[in-house]
Amino acid sequence: MANFDITDHLSFLKSEIMETLRLVIDPELHINIVDLGLVYEVRIDEPEKRIDIDMTLSSSYCPMGESILSGVKNCIESHYTAYTCNVNLVWEPVWSYDNITEEGKRSLGF
Amino acid sequence: MIPVKQQSGLYKLVVTHYGVAAVFFFSLPLMMLFSVKAFTGHYFHPQILAITHMAALGWGTMIIFGASYQLIPVVLETELHSKKLAWISFSLFLPGVIALVYSFWIFVPGIHMQCGAVLLLIAILLFTINVYLTGKKKEQQTIQEDFIFTACLFLFFTAALGTALVFNFTTPVFQQDQLHFLKIHAHLGIAGWFLLMIIGVSSKLVPMFLVSSYQNTRLLSFSYYTIVSAVLLFAIDSYFFGINYKTYIIAVVGVTGIMAYLLFIIKCFRSRLRKRVDIPMMSTLISFTLLTIAIVIIPFIIYYHLKSNPVSIRYSLTYGVLLLMGWVTALILGQTFKTLPFIVWIKHYEHLTGKVKTPMPADIFNTDLLKVQSAGFMLFCMTFIPGCFFVLPWLMYVGLVSLLITALAYLSNVIIVLFHKTKTYGKL
Repeated sequence: MANFDITDHLSFLKSEIMETLRLVIDPELHINIVDLGLVYEVRIDEPEKRIDIDMTLSSSYCPMGESILSGVKNCIESHYTAYTCNVNLVWEPVWSYDNITEEGKRSLGF
Repeated sequence: MIPVKQQSGLYKLVVTHYGVAAVFFFSLPLMMLFSVKAFTGHYFHPQILAITHMAALGWGTMIIFGASYQLIPVVLETELHSKKLAWISFSLFLPGVIALVYSFWIFVPGIHMQCGAVLLLIAILLFTINVYLTGKKKEQQTIQEDFIFTACLFLFFTAALGTALVFNFTTPVFQQDQLHFLKIHAHLGIAGWFLLMIIGVSSKLVPMFLVSSYQNTRLLSFSYYTIVSAVLLFAIDSYFFGINYKTYIIAVVGVTGIMAYLLFIIKCFRSRLRKRVDIPMMSTLISFTLLTIAIVIIPFIIYYHLKSNPVSIRYSLTYGVLLLMGWVTALILGQTFKTLPFIVWIKHYEHLTGKVKTPMPADIFNTDLLKVQSAGFMLFCMTFIPGCFFVLPWLMYVGLVSLLITALAYLSNVIIVLFHKTKTYGKL
């Protein structure tokens, strides 16, 4: 789960990006990727006008993986037109069920 | 590791298999409606042979081939070796099924039946080679890979023995009669092919669809070795000695393996995060119940067979119906609407995700038709199977009309999914 430092002058934009990423839905589970705990970090390179997103998938053989990754890039670039988006798929730390937020668990009927 | 990307050209290959299998499934209740009398007698009957091969090859295997081209790269985390080989396999398999089923139906064991069998054998060989070369690309071997490749080998042996049996009708190939080999042929197909393939693929997909935290594969390894041992022991033992008292022990070995797999599924189900179970997953769970009922029948078949009691034929027929029209069919009816909408969704919407609001895969098929399909299938199981066991033709007719409704709803829904037009609901 991404954390934000309020002393960072870009923290507001980062949390706004995080909220925007809630628009990207896992097509099978019908839950947004933020509540699924797939997004690990958002970085902004202001001079380069680039947003880097470190994220993972629930499994490496996820058949929807490509769709989710392209969905993240499309979503950010269409909402922040001045920026380019770079999605980094990472496998460390390994995603687990503990990553799912309380809201996500409620959506799953937990 | 990177997520498996949909290969270009795979879509047409996969949906063609699904479409053809749906048409063949629709033909099954029609064939069965004309064969109710045959279901009251011995299973070695031309129409029963035609229906069994339509169900096993035209329906079950056709859709498993199609799903495999999509799912094996996902399960094995690598790309399919050759689409060309897959298309050649399909173009031999389709006329092979038609020729074999038609020549069984009219029962002319001549050149058409032999050509059909040979076409099927070559098609299956090409499929097996394709799966082997796909798995070979991958360095790390998993238990799923063992299940899938062993299943393909058993399918090839099933087809090879089946082809020999077809030639045996006109030219003596075996010294023993057809029935002696029929049970080996049937069990190589059911336990060797269907069971191992279904376990191999479902052991990856069921936890994924249920969002289960259970990851242990020890039960699956145990299941693999016991089932493979049981199939091999059954084939060797019954080749030399037929059904005998040792068959009980072999059945126990095989059933232990199936129980280990079912325990794996129960553990996945219990540890699932997704509490709501949708209709396709419910159908999958029903399929496991039908498999369990079929297993319960096995000792009765052996017992009555050893006593030379003709009631063993009723048990055997009901066992076959439970497996092919119950377990395999329920599984496919459910999993079709787990896999096909995703395949179609990726083609229509992958490039649009994150840009505009799109339907979800579950919005692509018609839920009402799926409910009709599920209700029709439940009624079929509750009427046709007891009707078959107690020899009640009127109950069989009720079951077959239900199956016809099931097949019609299924075919309509598959058509709806295949002819889906891209639609969006505005900007995100």
